[in-house]
Amino acid sequence: MSSDFYKTSILPFAGIIIKLCRAYTNSQEDFEDYYQEVCLQIWRSKDNFREESQWSTWVYRISLNVCLTLLKKKKNNVQHFVSDAITSEETEDNFAFLDESLNVLYDAIRKLSEIDRAVIMLYLEEKSQKEIAEIIGTNPNNIGVRVKRIKIRLKKILDGEIN
Amino acid sequence: MEKSIENIWKEGFLKSDALVAPKINNLYNQKSIHIIDKFKRMFKINLIAIVAFSFAFLIVSFLIGIPITGILFFVTLSVLVFINRKLLNDLEKIDFGISSYQYLKAFNQWMKKQVSINEKISKLLYPIIFISLILGFWFKDAEGMPLGERLVNEILVGFPDTFLIFGIPLIGIFIVLLIIALLVHFGGRIYKWDVNIVYGRVFKKLDELMADIESLRS
Repeated sequence: MSSDFYKTSILPFAGIIIKLCRAYTNSQEDFEDYYQEVCLQIWRSKDNFREESQWSTWVYRISLNVCLTLLKKKKNNVQHFVSDAITSEETEDNFAFLDESLNVLYDAIRKLSEIDRAVIMLYLEEKSQKEIAEIIGTNPNNIGVRVKRIKIRLKKILDGEIN
Repeated sequence: MEKSIENIWKEGFLKSDALVAPKINNLYNQKSIHIIDKFKRMFKINLIAIVAFSFAFLIVSFLIGIPITGILFFVTLSVLVFINRKLLNDLEKIDFGISSYQYLKAFNQWMKKQVSINEKISKLLYPIIFISLILGFWFKDAEGMPLGERLVNEILVGFPDTFLIFGIPLIGIFIVLLIIALLVHFGGRIYKWDVNIVYGRVFKKLDELMADIESLRS
């Protein structure tokens, strides 16, 4: 991967890649692995980009797919997961943001299912329902309802009503 | 007033530490070490399987009356395992601290050396295995007489003009020598075919990784 490609095609979208990767990891080491793997996959897949969607949508989609794949691999290695949320693992101290509210919100997001995490992250990034549906590969009509449900669930997690 | 999740999100990421991208530098190291570790594991398992097989076959050969085959198999395969064990020791000496490209190159060089040595061994190994099978069955007891001699006697009954050298039909010697020559000639290729079946996927991944790193360097 050339540094030019990284600077022009990946770095402008590093924000969302970082945000997504952080939602699927709970240690700095895992986060760096996920981030690097996402960047590599974007670079490897660049020739498959057909311009049917925006480059940013393409980047989100690859980021999400890589995170889900790596999470699956990790789960297969651990082999004792009951649910698909990272409920049993503690987030490492050195992985925290300066903003405490953001840490609390991230911890809550990590308690959601894999797909709900993706939906809420894209929603928070102000992606339209159509774009979210395009990235996730679902019907845009369902996204609005899904976002509402996720927000209610997040609120309950933040208020300590559910774990 | 309680902040909405949208506000927490927006304000949280305004702080300078929130979106620092990690450096891309270590992934290939981890991947190359992972692939080579996988190869080492497979290589060790393969050697253990050969040892287990040669022991088991030694016992079976005594039970079915072809101990010569069993002993020759055991000795030959033990030599093979010994040589490959030494090769594996060389592989363990590759320094993990070097860059992934150098690490993969060192591994590639080791692979070439290993394949070249085993290719040469195979040119002897397959003929020895064949000879040990012939000898084992030739001297297998068949009602108080070696099976080979019994066979020759039966051939002489049917074909009394058969030409013998040291009590063995010339045509038989010719066929055995022909097969040995073919095994010597194709031994290396049989080995490569065998290696591809066992390690083909690992080699493919390694090639892809090398190509990736080379394009990164270019």
